[in-house]
Amino acid sequence: MKKWTTLLLVLLIALTSILSACGTSNEPADTTAAEPTAMTEPTAAPEAAAAPEATEVPEPAAAAEPVDISMWALASVTEAGPPADDWIAYDRIRDELGINLHYTIIPPQGDGETKLNAAAAANDLPDLFMIVSTTNDRDNLRTYHDLGLIAPVDDMFAMMPERTKTHYNNPVLIDLDSFDGQAYGLPNPPGITNREGLVIRQDWLDNLGLEAPTTPAELLEVAKAFTFNDPDGNGQDDTYGIGAFIEGSGVGRRFNPIFGAYGVVDLWNFVDAADGNFGLNVRDPQYYEAMKTMIEFTDAGVIDPDWPTLTKDEFRARWKQGRTGIMWEDFAALTNKSNYTPFDDNFPDASWTPLPALTGPGGEHVYGLNEANFSTYAVSQKAADEGKKEAIARLLEWMATDGYYLIGFGEEGVNFNLDEDGYITLDGIDPDLAFNSPAMQPPTQLRGTAFYNTLAEISARYPNYETNNGREMTPIKTYLEFFQSQQWIEGFAKKLIPPPENAADFYRYYDEGILQFALGQKELTPESWAEYLAGLDSLGAVQFEEGARQTLTDAGLLP
Amino acid sequence: MVAAGSRSTSEHSLGRRVRAVAHSMWRMRWMYLLMTPTLIYLLVFKYIPLWNAQIAFKDFKPLLGVTGSPWVGFEHFQTFVNSFYFSQLLTNTIFFSLAKLLLGLPVAIICALALHETVLRRYRTFVQTVIYLPHFLSWVIMFGVLLSILSPGDGLLNQIIERLGGQPIAFMTSPKYFRWVVVFSDIWKETGWSTILYLAALLAINPELYEAAAVDGANAIQRIWHISLPGIVPVIVLVTLLRMGHILEAGFNQIFVLYSVPVYSVGDILDTWVYRQGLLQFKFSLATAVGFFKGVIGLILILVANRVAKRVAQQGLF
Repeated sequence: MKKWTTLLLVLLIALTSILSACGTSNEPADTTAAEPTAMTEPTAAPEAAAAPEATEVPEPAAAAEPVDISMWALASVTEAGPPADDWIAYDRIRDELGINLHYTIIPPQGDGETKLNAAAAANDLPDLFMIVSTTNDRDNLRTYHDLGLIAPVDDMFAMMPERTKTHYNNPVLIDLDSFDGQAYGLPNPPGITNREGLVIRQDWLDNLGLEAPTTPAELLEVAKAFTFNDPDGNGQDDTYGIGAFIEGSGVGRRFNPIFGAYGVVDLWNFVDAADGNFGLNVRDPQYYEAMKTMIEFTDAGVIDPDWPTLTKDEFRARWKQGRTGIMWEDFAALTNKSNYTPFDDNFPDASWTPLPALTGPGGEHVYGLNEANFSTYAVSQKAADEGKKEAIARLLEWMATDGYYLIGFGEEGVNFNLDEDGYITLDGIDPDLAFNSPAMQPPTQLRGTAFYNTLAEISARYPNYETNNGREMTPIKTYLEFFQSQQWIEGFAKKLIPPPENAADFYRYYDEGILQFALGQKELTPESWAEYLAGLDSLGAVQFEEGARQTLTDAGLLP
Repeated sequence: MVAAGSRSTSEHSLGRRVRAVAHSMWRMRWMYLLMTPTLIYLLVFKYIPLWNAQIAFKDFKPLLGVTGSPWVGFEHFQTFVNSFYFSQLLTNTIFFSLAKLLLGLPVAIICALALHETVLRRYRTFVQTVIYLPHFLSWVIMFGVLLSILSPGDGLLNQIIERLGGQPIAFMTSPKYFRWVVVFSDIWKETGWSTILYLAALLAINPELYEAAAVDGANAIQRIWHISLPGIVPVIVLVTLLRMGHILEAGFNQIFVLYSVPVYSVGDILDTWVYRQGLLQFKFSLATAVGFFKGVIGLILILVANRVAKRVAQQGLF
C-alpha cells in the first residue's frame, strides 16, 4: 500500500510538472538580448522648460483592485536586461495609477515579430505592445487590424491630453497608423532622422597622403590604398578599405555612397517619383550602372569579404579593431561616448571624418532615403474588451508627465540632478549610478516610451566630450548636423505600400539576385540583368508596382 | 444452434484474451507505471496538438479559433506546391537530410568501432569526451567558430590556402561550397553524440564472442566485420528508419544561423521558407500545411523503409 502511495505521488508530481509547462505565466519573462540598434545609446534629458507639464492624472478608485496591464516593448539597450522585480517604477505605477504593470522585453527584428505573431495567432496579444517588423511596421499593424486583434485608439487621445500634445502631434504619423479613417496605432515621435552617413579614417588618409574621395572612382582608389598600402603602418596586411553588412533590401543601405551617386538608393525610386517615374529602382538604367560600379569594388577586393554574413555587432567590432577605414555608420553608434571609447582606447590618435555624398558620372549625389523612423504601440482588442483602454492611457500619460524623469533617467539625486536652469546634469552623481551608466540601463529600458525627441532633449542626450588624446568630440555638430545637411530623399510614403502577396518569395528573389551580381557570383551583362528583371516580373513585380502606385496616388503622394 | 455455439465460443475466446492481457499488464504493472509520464507527455504535446493541424485546411483566423475558421480545402497545399521555390526547397531539404545521414552515419559507426577497439581506457574516455563536446555548443557559437576558420579574410583554412599559393574561398557565401559547409559542420558537431549510441550497442555484445574469435585466430578487422558490425545492425537499422521519418527536416537551427542571402539558392530549406513565409507573414495555415506535408511524407517513408529493412536485413522498427 505504501509502495502504491509513493508511486501515485511520483506520478502526480510528474503530471503536474508536464501540465504546468502548458500554462501561461504573467511574469515579465523574455529578456533575450539581441543586436543593438541604432537607438541603443543612453539618452539624456530635455531642458526643464521643455519638459512636459504634469497633468492631473485621474485618481484610481481607492478601494479598487489594481488593473493588470501587460506591456511588450523593445528594449532601449538590447544588451541590457529588464528592470528588476523591485523596480521603483513598478511600485509608483501601482501606488499612483492603480496599475500592476507587467513589462516584457521583446527581441528585435524577426525574433520579436515571430513572438508577436505567435501571440496574435493564439489571440493572446498583450494589452499594450510595440509593433516589431522586419520589413514595415504598417504591414504588421494592417495584419492585426484585418484580423480584428487590435482596437481603434482615437478615443484614447483625449484620455492623455499632455502626451497627445508632446507625442501624438504629427497627423502624418497618425495617418500612417490608421486604416479606414481610424487610428489603430499610437506612434511615438520619430527618433533622429537622417542620422547615418559616410565616414573615413582621417589618420589613414594622412598616413598615405591621400585626399578624401568625392566620386565613386576616387573612393575605389582610396579603398585600394587602405587595403593594400598598410594605412595603419603596422607592417601587416590586416586592413580593408570598406566595412559593411547587409541592412535593408538588396546590398543594403551600407552601400548608399555608391548607389546614391547614381540616385538609386533603396527599393523604390522616390527620386524620380515627381516626374511620374515611380517604380522599383532596379527598373532604372542607372541601377545597372551602379551595380557595375559595385562590382568593381568587389573585384578589387577592397570590401571586408565577410560582409554578407556579418551581423551589426560583428561589423561594429571590426571598425573598433581598426580593420576597416571607410563605412556608412550611424552617428551615435560611431560617436556616442560609450560606443567610441573602445575604438578610442585602441587608436587614441585616430579620427573619423564625415564625407559628403559622392557625385556620380551623371552628377547625382543622393545621400539616402529618409524613412519614417518611428515606433508604434497598439492596444489589443482583448484589452479594449476588458475595459483597459482608460488604464493604458493613464499609464502612457504618466510616462510623459509625472513619470517622465523616472522612466527616462531614474531617480533625481541618485541617477541625475537638475541644474539651476533645469537641465539634466550628472554633477554630484556617482558615475556608477549615473543615468547613462551600464548599471542604469535596465531601469531605463522604457525610456523610449517617455522621450519625445525634441531638439533640446536630443542635444542633452549626446553631449560633447574629450577623447583620450584631448580632442573634443562633438557628435551632434560634427556628425549629425553634417549628415543631415546632405541630400536625403523623402521616403515616408514607403510605409504605405502594401507588401506583395508572395512577399517572402519576392523579397528573396530580389535580394538574392542583387547579391549574386554584387558578389560576382553571377556575371552582370545586359542579358543577365534582363533575365533577372523578367524573373521579378514572373513573381508579380508589375502588380506590386501598380499596387504601390495606386496606394500612393490615392494618398495624394503621387501626381 | 451452431451460430449460437460459435458466438459463445468466440465470446469465451475474447474473454480469455482480455483476461490474458489484463493478467500480463498486471504482471508488468511497474513497467506500465514507469511509462505513464512519457505517455502523458506524448498525449499532451504530440497527440492533442494534432487537433489543431486542421488549420492546414482552413483560413485560420485567431478570433474564430481553430474550429470556427472557414474551410478552404487544399488551398494552402496548392499554394505551397505552386510556390516559386517549391522544387528548390524540396531538393535542398532532401539533399541536406540524405547527405547528413549517408555521410554522418558511417563516420559515427567508424568512430564507435575505433573507440571500442581502443585498449587504452583513458585515451578512449578522453577522445569520447572531446568528440561529443561540440554537441553541447549552440549553432550560434558554432557559426562564430566556423567564421574564424572559413572566413576569406583571416580564416584559418583560407590562410593555409593562401600560404599554399591559392586564392581565398568564400565558403560561407559561395553557393558552390555552402552545402558542404552545412553537411560537414553537422558531422563535426553531432558525430560524437551519435557515437554514444553505437558504442552502447557494441558494449552490449557478448564478450565471449570476441574471446572465441580470438581463440580461433581472428584479427581485429575480422572481429569487427564478423562480430561488431552484425551486432550493431539492429541499432543502425533503427537509427536509419527513424531518420527517414525526418527526411524533410534538414536542421532549421543550423541552416537559419549559417545561411545568408547569397546562398539561398542552395541553402533555403522547407523550414526556413516556412519561417519567412508562414511565421513572419502571418500565414499560419500555410505553415501548418507544410508541416502536415512533411509529416505525411515522413510517415510514408518510414513505412516503406521499415518494410524494406524487414525484407532485406530481417530487421524492422515494428
